[in-house]
Amino acid sequence: MNSQGATVAAKVHVRLFAALRERAGWAERSLSFPSGGVEQTPAGLWRQLGLDPSPPAETGHLPAGIRVAVNHAFAAPDTPLAPGDEVAFLPPITGG
Amino acid sequence: MAPATGSTPRIDIRLPGEPFEPLTELAGWQRPHAAAEGHFIGRVRPATATGAPLEALELEHYPGMTEAQLQALASACAARHGAEAVLVTHRVGRILPGEAIVLVAVAADRRGPALRCVAELLEELKHHAPFWKREWSGGTGTWVGGNTPL
Repeated sequence: MNSQGATVAAKVHVRLFAALRERAGWAERSLSFPSGGVEQTPAGLWRQLGLDPSPPAETGHLPAGIRVAVNHAFAAPDTPLAPGDEVAFLPPITGG
Repeated sequence: MAPATGSTPRIDIRLPGEPFEPLTELAGWQRPHAAAEGHFIGRVRPATATGAPLEALELEHYPGMTEAQLQALASACAARHGAEAVLVTHRVGRILPGEAIVLVAVAADRRGPALRCVAELLEELKHHAPFWKREWSGGTGTWVGGNTPL
């Protein structure tokens, strides 16, 4: 068994905002990071969590307008994730 | 590109959860006085995108990322134009019609860089800083699907 810190880090934290959050019915989740060298990506999490009511046939893509952030920086949907990463799915931005 | 002044631009990013007075913000930020300043003040319209009376606008953000993005966008814009200082004040939370929602100010040595940096930074933050607007009208909240035209 690893230390408490390593146990906590072996997760990936997912956050949703605005309309995406309300459609899904939750704001934050921590998921176990896959073991055995399986690659985890934001697009994979999107499918795993069932966030798209009508998922596209082509894997690795997100619906138009949905952007991804990893650890507070914009990232591609196929970015390989590391244990402890925070992934956010962002609906179209409407600031200013 | 290095700033024309040769020094690092001063960047101020503020996300107040309560109403702010843009002119008071500016007065506190204008030190030392620059040769040129560009300003933009945005206020909440009294109507929704469909023309209904607006009760309030709700502004959601992503704490941590929003500040980091604004800092990065402002720093890059200041560097491109050789600006000396940038201020971005952006409301979050519930905002009433007529209240200020955003203030962008840029200090530079000349009017061109000051005005161009304000315009560019405003467009960039509208598309690349994580904020989400929800219009409240008749007791119903509707997430806004996109930005208003330039």
